Amino acid sequence: MKRNRLLMAGGAAVAALCMALSGCGGGASGAKTGDTEQADPNQKVTITYLHRLPNKPGMTPVDEIVARWNKDHPNIQVKATQFNGNASDMITKLETDVKAGNAPDLAQLGYSELPEAYMKGIMEDVTSEAEQYSKDFAQGPFEQMQIGGKTFGLPQDTGPLVYYYNKTAFDELGITLPKTQDELIAAAKTAAAKGKYIMSFQADESGNMLTGLAGASSPWYEVEGDAWKVDTQTDGSKAVANVFQQLIDAKATSTNPRWDPSFDASLQKGELIGTIGAAWEAPLLMDSMADKGKGDWRIAQIGDWFDNAGKTGPDGGSGVAVMKGCKYKAQAMEFLDWFNTQIDDLTSQGLIVAASTGTAKTPAAWSEFYGGQDVMKEFADANANMNNFAYIPGFASVGASMQEAASKAASGTGKVSAVFDAAQSASVSTLKDSGLSVVE
Amino acid sequence: MTTATTTPADVRTLHDANELESRGSESGAVPKAGKLGRRPRRSPAARREERTGWMFMLPFVLLFLLVFVFPIVYAIYSSFFQQVATGGAYGGGEVVNKFVGFENFKYVITSDKFWGGMGRVLIYTVIQVPLMIISALVLAMLIDSFIIKHVGGFRLGYFLPYAIPGVIASIIWVYLYNGQISPIVKGLAAIGIHVDFFASNVVLASMVNITTWTFTGYNMLIFLSALQAIPHDLYEAARIDGANGWQIAMKVKLPNVRGAALLAMLLSIVGTIQLFNEPQVMHTADPGINNYYTPMMMAFNSSRGFLTPKGAGPSNAIAIVMAIIAGLLAMAYAFIERKVNES
Repeated sequence: MKRNRLLMAGGAAVAALCMALSGCGGGASGAKTGDTEQADPNQKVTITYLHRLPNKPGMTPVDEIVARWNKDHPNIQVKATQFNGNASDMITKLETDVKAGNAPDLAQLGYSELPEAYMKGIMEDVTSEAEQYSKDFAQGPFEQMQIGGKTFGLPQDTGPLVYYYNKTAFDELGITLPKTQDELIAAAKTAAAKGKYIMSFQADESGNMLTGLAGASSPWYEVEGDAWKVDTQTDGSKAVANVFQQLIDAKATSTNPRWDPSFDASLQKGELIGTIGAAWEAPLLMDSMADKGKGDWRIAQIGDWFDNAGKTGPDGGSGVAVMKGCKYKAQAMEFLDWFNTQIDDLTSQGLIVAASTGTAKTPAAWSEFYGGQDVMKEFADANANMNNFAYIPGFASVGASMQEAASKAASGTGKVSAVFDAAQSASVSTLKDSGLSVVE
Repeated sequence: MTTATTTPADVRTLHDANELESRGSESGAVPKAGKLGRRPRRSPAARREERTGWMFMLPFVLLFLLVFVFPIVYAIYSSFFQQVATGGAYGGGEVVNKFVGFENFKYVITSDKFWGGMGRVLIYTVIQVPLMIISALVLAMLIDSFIIKHVGGFRLGYFLPYAIPGVIASIIWVYLYNGQISPIVKGLAAIGIHVDFFASNVVLASMVNITTWTFTGYNMLIFLSALQAIPHDLYEAARIDGANGWQIAMKVKLPNVRGAALLAMLLSIVGTIQLFNEPQVMHTADPGINNYYTPMMMAFNSSRGFLTPKGAGPSNAIAIVMAIIAGLLAMAYAFIERKVNES
């Protein structure tokens, strides 16, 4: 009797384990059928969407936006999930999900990640489905969702680099918004003499920001035939290196890493009164300052500081791609076009939308902080002024190696130009390691 | 030379076996007595007990196979592959898993990054482990002595940092090290000492401090339980022989916690070789701590694509080579320890 009970307990444990295991397995096999079925338009389908929008208090939650869609589209039900990990780890998750056959239908991907995602084969070609929606988006971002003439999704937001500065503090120091390289360096030195910084050299963001600044004048990566031509030591890169080197040598720039608490501390203390940043940093900087300097800050286009002829470059920005294994591409794209054109809702999430179907209104809190400025208008100008930048597969490792060199430059043990040397060798080796050809 | 001694033994074994065999066939209980005869027969009760034992083991064995053995086997398997793109500048739109033999291991063994990281970790171990073990031992001795009252409070206090997860501890310390917001840095600056905890020649010591802070209490508990297991007769005997408190500590207590010290050292060596949390978290505050600062970070960042060559193959190869080195070090330590004890 006792024995039987033991056997049963053991059996139950095994059964429970099997159930737990098959639970995962079952879900996987359900979504695995990768071949697209010709769907009946009246058929009820479910689309899953993995995003990494902030969803903070005060923003229109993604679930609320999606619920509106679901109410009007009983046949295309969307289930949105927020990715809670590090943004940069999401692509790894998507890769394993596709392998396991349980990837979402739609997923957010940064423009710089798209070539990597393409190389890994985790996206669906939706060129024909996307065609009809191209008119809803600015051309530049729409092209960022394309590789080799094929389209893989629709753009969501952009990250043009702009200049944030505290106008009141500038006035107190008697400096004006610099227009040229010389003016910038002179103003930085004037401010530094009073213990203030109007520029920041952010080692941890160097892979994004310095790339964008350098890319404002000319590309780093070009395709020749079936091979890559890599030149990260362009004139644009040299100009960026030169300016930051002068600023670092003169101790006229902050060198706190962007995501270290010291960066926020220097903003709050009023020490850092100007910095280049991506457009999506507008609400982040507000958060960092927590009402300090409210109304004093302004946003401006980056001057002609890096021989970039008034152009700016991208830092971040992302789109939503259709993942491999999506059964209902047409429906997924229909939803995606609707979602990515919900300008007000996405603006509330802090995005500078890529949609061109309407004009984004500046949220009240933003215009209050930025002295009544029409922030969205400024960003739209920056967008129009932005050079597209083509990235290579495996760009993440290039950014990482730039960080290391930039950190040496920040501490004075290295030169800023070494950042671009590091980018060159890392670009070439990541391409070669992935089995891609490089023209030397 | 051996024949003289082995022959009788062999004869005896043979004899025993024959006897068992014949007994088995006699009773007829075991059909294939010829093969099973060597084993002593067990009663049904004993067999039932054995089965019960295995039933108790079953959940462990299943989970052990599932979450331990299988991933290791799979990691070894995948370390022989690399993901490479097919054709075209952007690849052919998919990657293939290419068998590359020992290519990944060759990359690890010839990589400056790997050995640089290994070097840092070894320096770290050489500084951190003795520091921590000695402080843990001193604390345990103090608590075990009769100098201190309210032992429970001290024991809890020293152990508490261990209850804080490693990543959280590292984040706390990053704030305490931060040049612009740390009360420690500001306090030291106020008395004229300017210290940069992230300076390239200091940062390893900053990590040593975090680990020591976290794990000293844990090791202290190991020592304390070993100390409390020492029979008190020994102390009395020593005291009667005229030993003072210091002598008792050094001559009676210390030799008796040797076993615990060996265990604590081994665990610590294996643990510090895998140094990861501290540098990975501090990397946010100081990008100068590169993403291959320790072999574990190198493996992690290769798998995330922040280092090239990337993917499961190279990162598993790093992890395997590191495991082998850690195993060798632990074995070498245990061997030396035994030799020293014998002499």
